[in-house]
Formats: sequence, structure tokens, C-alpha cells
Amino acid sequence: MGEQVIIAIGREYGSGGHEIGERIAKELGIHFYDRSMLDEIAKDKDIEIEYLEKYDEKPRKLFGSRRVGAYTNSIEEIIAEMQFEYIRDKADEGESFVIVGRCAESVLEGHKNLISIFVTGHRDARIKRIMNKYHLNEQDAVVKIKRHDKHRKQYHNRHANGKWGDSRLYDLCISSSDLGVEKTVNVVEFFIKERLGEN
Amino acid sequence: MNKMKGDYETMVAQVLAAVIFVAMFLLIVTEKIERHIVTLVCGLLTMVLVFGVAMQSMSAVLETLNLRSIFTVGFWYTSGSEGESTAGINWATIIFILGMMVMVEGMAKAGFFRWLCMRLAKMVNYKPVPLFITFMVMSAVLAMFIDSITVILFLAAVTVELAKLLKFNPVPMILSEIFCANLGGSATMCGDPPNIIIGTSLEYSFADFLTNTGVIAGISLILVVIYFYFVFGRKMASQGAQDIDFSAIPEPKDAITNKKDFIISSIIFGCAVVMLVTHAQTGLTVAFIGTVVAVITLLAAGKSALDLLKKVDYKTLLFFVGLFAVVGGLEQTGILEKIAALIGDISGGNLKLMVAIIIWLSAIASAFVDNIPFAATMIPVIKSLAVTQAGVDLETLAWALSMGTDIGGSATPIGASANVVGTSVAAKNGHIIGWGEYCKSAAPATIIVVTISMIIIFIRYC
Repeated sequence: MGEQVIIAIGREYGSGGHEIGERIAKELGIHFYDRSMLDEIAKDKDIEIEYLEKYDEKPRKLFGSRRVGAYTNSIEEIIAEMQFEYIRDKADEGESFVIVGRCAESVLEGHKNLISIFVTGHRDARIKRIMNKYHLNEQDAVVKIKRHDKHRKQYHNRHANGKWGDSRLYDLCISSSDLGVEKTVNVVEFFIKERLGEN
Repeated sequence: MNKMKGDYETMVAQVLAAVIFVAMFLLIVTEKIERHIVTLVCGLLTMVLVFGVAMQSMSAVLETLNLRSIFTVGFWYTSGSEGESTAGINWATIIFILGMMVMVEGMAKAGFFRWLCMRLAKMVNYKPVPLFITFMVMSAVLAMFIDSITVILFLAAVTVELAKLLKFNPVPMILSEIFCANLGGSATMCGDPPNIIIGTSLEYSFADFLTNTGVIAGISLILVVIYFYFVFGRKMASQGAQDIDFSAIPEPKDAITNKKDFIISSIIFGCAVVMLVTHAQTGLTVAFIGTVVAVITLLAAGKSALDLLKKVDYKTLLFFVGLFAVVGGLEQTGILEKIAALIGDISGGNLKLMVAIIIWLSAIASAFVDNIPFAATMIPVIKSLAVTQAGVDLETLAWALSMGTDIGGSATPIGASANVVGTSVAAKNGHIIGWGEYCKSAAPATIIVVTISMIIIFIRYC
């Protein structure tokens, strides 16, 4: 791709948003960032990766941490800020990439050619997807979805400028359940190209 | 009938004031809303609901707003008999903190703090153990005059930088510096916000603090340095690589951004210290000193004055305004007198037991919640205790409250602002400090210092 493009994907758990993001990055031939960015951060800061992964995309604990102005000692928030700095640097360097989660639509707000997308899905389809992916029964899948969505919502709403999943925050909101992952990728890709004026 | 109605109104006012106070504390802890907004809204609710609806007392509103005090001579200058205002919003504290903020911004901009850290590091030839001890002492001494957040902000950043170059682990040094900053803050009237509030509310001078809490802090500092040496220092002695490129270490003079500003800000700082140390003799109040320091800094800054003003942490000042209004609600409704009576009953009038309750209660509470609201709330309590309990000296209780609130905050990573800033600076540089690692060294040190403080207060005053 010639001009820089940044695709920020927010997603409900089990919607396939991660897979959609990965495929779009592959199709467009640009970098894909998810929790794997922690590898680079861990290497750069000389921190154990397992430690970073434990607190990735988690809301801060209500008791046990405090903020003083721009400083916080919440490990969850420090790791979030490390990731925000990482993606800001990548964007400022002019790199094109797809980023999943990390409040990227807010963190990179104002960047030229930022396209923000929120992937949702019908409840049943999401449960089915999680049951198949992690070999869980329905009850466990429901619990897992609820837990992850709750954490994502708290994490997002703590750091972002708007509410998680609020359509006004994104350029495109799409349900992956109607078309399936493959066709959703095509629709999103079409939207991106239209936005960039490439079609 | 009228009496019953009056009792009912008082009870409603007390319940409302207490609910607002508890809600304010919970909202501050959750950090959902910025703390200055929380205290301001709660302060406004106190004015409207407690003083307006329940008490229907305009005088309570005026007393708590306390604006008239600013226009009295005693607010700026005391000739011994005149005193500063002792109730409601403590404007003297707010004006003093504002003045010091402006001065500190000027010093930071000129590169004073970084220069001082680098100068001392060079003086000890960048050797880990002497560096470790020097930085602990410097942290305590600086925190006697400068807010602990600024002290730790610069000290932790330089420690991380030196640790990278000298190849040692900065975490033990940062943890020790944090503790010493909190300890140093307890030594003077201007070192820690609880002390400023205690000093201005109870009309104590800088010298009063220095000769009372200062002595306790001095003795404690010696023991704390020994303690941290045994906990960390011996390990540090074995650290530090042999193949260090000393030419890569920045020269202290490189930290100075502008020589003229550096000299001026150093002189202003020196004058501020002299004015504070002698204010009991000169009669100048801390509000006056804060104002003078701010005005001189701004005049000296010239065109940069606006930049300095913009950097002032107004949110903290607004936080104080709201907080004092909420505490004013507790004070006016008489709840704090009830708490004082409870402490009096538990202690059975025994001063030693009273001191022990105040110092440990303050220390434990400050380890988990902001020590500023706690200190502001406890001042009317100890005042009431001194009035109602025979043979109880207010000063004794004030020093117990000061040491408890100032030192208790050191025990946990959330206890004091310096702890948050220090651990945050470390984490941003890849040295994440969890609760376990923090408390392992800081909690025993806190217990040691609080115990020492209590023993010294027992021996000297009880």
C-alpha cells in the first residue's frame, strides 16, 4: 500500500474480530498487531513476557492502585500505557498496520487515514465459536464470553474517549454472524478501499 | 418540643455530613471521577444539604468558606497574639502550596534538581553503596522543603538513568528514596501536606515542627538508613559492573538549562528556606511566604511566567478547597466531637493510650487512603480531645497525628503520592514493582519508625 493506513479493530469476544483483523492485514500486506506487541515491549524494557501477558487488556483493580496526576502504579494501566506508546510510535513513524483492541480508535484519534471498526456478533454464534475454539460446553463458553467482554468494556471505558461498542465511536460497526468471517473480511476490505479512494 | 426538633435537625445534618464524607472517600478511591471534582461537588453538597437544608445556618456556610480570613492582617502577619483562622477552608495551606508549586516549577525548569542529583552522584564517584546512602539522605533533606512528589520524580528518574549506565538494579534505591522522602516530609511544617494543614490550623511554626517531629524524623532517618543498608545495601555492594564507561555519564553542569535561571531559582529557594525557618521570629505567615516566593519566581521568569503558571497543579488546589468544605461539614455538625469523645472513652483519659490510638490509627489509615483528608478530619478531633480531656496537651496529639499520617503512607504502594510516582517512574522504565516487593521492605520500615515515634513521644511528652 502506498499511503499510510491504520485499521483499529474493536471486537466483542467470540465475534471473530481478531481473525478478521489478521486476514485484512494479510490481504492489504500490512503489519498486524495484537498482544504479540508485548514481545517487543518486553524485549525493549527487559521485562518477562509472562508478566506483561498476565495484565494485558485488563482493567485496573479497584483497590490496590492509585493515580497521582499522570502517574499511576496500577500494573494494568502501566502496561496499557506502554502499548499505547508503542502504537503511537508506529503510527508516527508512518507505518501501516491493523491493530486489534488496545483502545486504538481513541489512542490514535486524529491520525490521518485511521479507520476504526467494531466487530460484533449474535450471542448464539459467538457462544458456538468459543465452544468450538476452546472445546467448552455451552455454560462455560457463556461464562468465558461474559468475563472477557466485561474486562474489555472496563478496560476500554477507562482509557478511551467513548463507550466500548458505541457506534458513534467507530467508522464501521459490523456483525460477523450474518456473513461469516470470510465475507465480513471482504465487506470491511471494500469499505477500507472506498475510504482510501482506491476503488 | 423545640429541643426535640433541634436534636432531630442536628441528627439529620450529622447523617448527611457523614454520608457525603464517606461517599467522597469512596469516589476518590475508585478514581472514576477526578478527585478535585469529587471534593468540590461534595463540598457544594455539604453547603447546600448540611448547612442549608438541615441546619439552615448561613453562619456555618460563611465560617466554612472562611473567605474573610484572607482579608485580615493575621492571615499574612502574626505578632504573637493574633492567629490565623482555624476553621473551614484552610486558605493559608492552599496559598502556601500554590506558592511552593510555582517556585518548584521554576527550579525544575532551570535544571536544579537534576543538577543536584548528578552533582552528588559524581561526588561519591558513582559507587553503588555510597550513592544508595547519599540519595536516601538527599531525598529526606529535600523533602523537608520541597513536596515529595517533585523530589521523587527527579530522584527516581536519575536513579534509573544511573542504574542503566552503572549496571545495577534501581528498585532497592527507589524504594529507599521513597521511604526517606516521606520521612523527610514529616520533619518540617512544609514537608508534607498533613503538616501544613496541622501547622496552619493549630498555629504551629516551622521551628515547632523541626524541634519536635524533626527530632523524631532525624533519629528515625539514621535507623532507616541502617535498616535499608542491611536489607538492600549489602546486595548492592556486589552489583555494578567493572567495565563502566564513565564518559557516558552526563556531567552535572549539563543538567542546567539556563545558568541565570539556575542561580535565581537557587537564591529564591534559599530565601524560602530562610523565611520558613525564621517565620516564628519574623511573624510572617506561610501564606505570606508562599505568596512572596511565587511573585518573585514569576517576576524573575519574565516571559516564561505564564508557562510556569500553566504548569501549576490547580486540580490539587481545588481538591483541597472541596476537601476542607466537606470536613467543615463534619466539624460544624459536631460529629468529630463524638469521635473525639469515643477516643477519650476508649483511652479512659490515659494520654499514652490516646497517643498510641492516634498514631497507629493514623498510620494504618494513611497506608491505604489519602493521608490529606484523614489529617484534615483528625485535627478537629484532637482539638476536641485536648479541650475535653484533662491533662491532655494538644501539641502531643498533634505530633502523634503528624508522624502517624506522614509515615503510615510509606507502608504500601498506594499510601502516599511519592510512592505512586516513584513506582510509576520505575515501571515505565521496565522495573515493575508489585505490592509484595514494595511492602516487603517498606512495611517493616514503617512499623519501626511509627514505633520509634511513639516511644519518643511517650518519653518526651507523656
